[in-house]
Amino acid sequence: MIEVSRLSKRFATPVLRDVSLRVPTGCLYGLVGPGASGKSVLLKCLAGLLRPEQGSVSVCGATLGDLDEVSLQAVRNRIGMLFQNNALFDHLTVRENIAFPLRRRGVSDESEIAARVADRLAAVSLAGFEDRMPGGLSGGQKKRVGVARATVTRAEVVLYDEPAAGLDPVTSQKIFDLLRAEQRESGATVVMVSSDIERLLTVTDRVGMMLDGELIFDGTTDEALTSTHPVVKQFVHGEVDGPL
Amino acid sequence: MSAAVRAILLDARELQSIFLRTLYWSFRGKREPGDVARQCYEVGNRSLFFLMVTMGFIGMILVFQSGLQALRVVPDLTMLGATFLEALVRDLGPSIGALMLATRVGAGIAAEIGSMVVTEQVDALRMCGVDPVDFLVVPRFVASMLMTTTLILLAGLVSFAAGGATAWFVFDVQPQTYMNLSLLDRGDVIIGLSKCLGYGAAIPIVSAWCGLTTRGGSEGVGAATTSAVVNSSLAVIFLDLLFSGAGFVIFDG
Repeated sequence: MIEVSRLSKRFATPVLRDVSLRVPTGCLYGLVGPGASGKSVLLKCLAGLLRPEQGSVSVCGATLGDLDEVSLQAVRNRIGMLFQNNALFDHLTVRENIAFPLRRRGVSDESEIAARVADRLAAVSLAGFEDRMPGGLSGGQKKRVGVARATVTRAEVVLYDEPAAGLDPVTSQKIFDLLRAEQRESGATVVMVSSDIERLLTVTDRVGMMLDGELIFDGTTDEALTSTHPVVKQFVHGEVDGPL
Repeated sequence: MSAAVRAILLDARELQSIFLRTLYWSFRGKREPGDVARQCYEVGNRSLFFLMVTMGFIGMILVFQSGLQALRVVPDLTMLGATFLEALVRDLGPSIGALMLATRVGAGIAAEIGSMVVTEQVDALRMCGVDPVDFLVVPRFVASMLMTTTLILLAGLVSFAAGGATAWFVFDVQPQTYMNLSLLDRGDVIIGLSKCLGYGAAIPIVSAWCGLTTRGGSEGVGAATTSAVVNSSLAVIFLDLLFSGAGFVIFDG
C-alpha cells in the first residue's frame, strides 16, 4: 500500500501542496492533470528519489522521509519504475538493460537472469531484440523495453511515468493493455501518470487529478467519469470550455 | 548568513560527499568487467595526441624563452636543460598537463554524466539499487589517476625532448650538455608524482560533481560542461599551490 500524507515539496516555487493520497495494495491508480501540475514530482517522491519537505510518504510499510540512503535503497529494491524518457542505458544492449536491476540486486545465476529477461521480452513482444542497442529502437520499442526493465524484478510497487508519451494511438492502447495485464498477473500496486486520459481510464481502478500541485480529485474511475467537479469534468471529457 | 555563502557551503558539502563516496566505493564497489579499462581508453588514449603535441610545443616555447632571458643575464646556457628539467618534473609538466586534461577529460565527464541526469538515467540507476557515484564516478576516478600520471610522464619526456631540440637548433646547446640531471633530486620527483595523482583524482571528482548537479535540459548540460572545465582548472591551480607549499616545507625548498 502507498500512503501519502500532507506532502509538500518546492523547488523555486511550490510544486506539491498538502497532497494526501492512499493507494490500496493491488490497485492500478491513474494520476492525471495538466502539464506542470506536480504529477512526476509526486511519482519521484513515491520512489524515494525526492525527499518531502513537509508531510510523509509511506511505501511498502516504510516512511521514506525517515530513512537514510541505505535503508531507502532497500525500499527502492521493492519498487519498479518506468521513466518518462525511458532512461535506458545507452551503452548497454536491450538484454543488459533488462538484466541490470537483477544483477544489481544480487541475482547471480546467469540461467535465471536469462530466463527472466526472455520472459519479459516475450511479455512486451520484443523477443529477438536482445542484442539491439537502445539507439536503434523506435519510441514504442524503447517504451516496451522500459516496461520490461521496470517489471523484471517482480516489484511490489510499480510506478509508470507517461508510459505512452509520444506514441501513436494504437501503440498507446497496446502499452496500456500490456501494463494492465502485467498488473493483474503480478498483483502489484501500480501508480501510472499519463496525459492520455482517454486510454488511461480504460485500465485504472482509481484516479487522482492534480492541479497546481494539489490533488483536487481522488476516486474510482467511474466516479472520475461522472464527476461534477468543473475542472475534473472538463479534463476527463476533454472539453474546450471550462475553468482550465 | 547570505544566500551566496549558504550556496557555497552546500556545494562544498556535496563535493565532499562525492569524494568520500568515491573513496568508499573504490574499495567496496562491484565493478562491471572492463569498466576501468574503457575509461582508461577514454581518458588516456583519446588524450594522448592532444597532450603530446601541446606539451611538445610548450617545451619548445619555454626553452626558447628561458634561453633568451638567460643570455641577457649570464651568457651561459650550460644549465638550461638542468633548470628546465627540474621545473618540468616539479611543476610545469604535471600542472600544464593537468590543465590540458581538465579541458578535455573534465568536459567529457561532465557532459556524459549531465546528459544521463537530464535523461533520468541517473535516477534509473538509483532505482536499480546503484549509487551513481559507484557506477559512474569510480571507474573514471581510478582511470584518471592511472592515466593522468602515465600521460604526464610521457608528455614530460616529449616536452623535454622538444625543448632539447630547440636548445640545440636555436642556441647550439649540445644534447649531452642539455641532458643534465644534476638539479633533479628525490623531492622534485616525489612532488611531481604527487601532483599527478592529486590532479588525476581532482579532475574526475570535480567534473562528476558538475555533471551530477546538472539541472534542466541541454542548456543545463552545456552549463555543467563549462563549469566542469572552470572548476577542474581551479582545482588544479589550488592543488598546485598546496603541493608546492607542502613540498617546499617537507623537502626544504
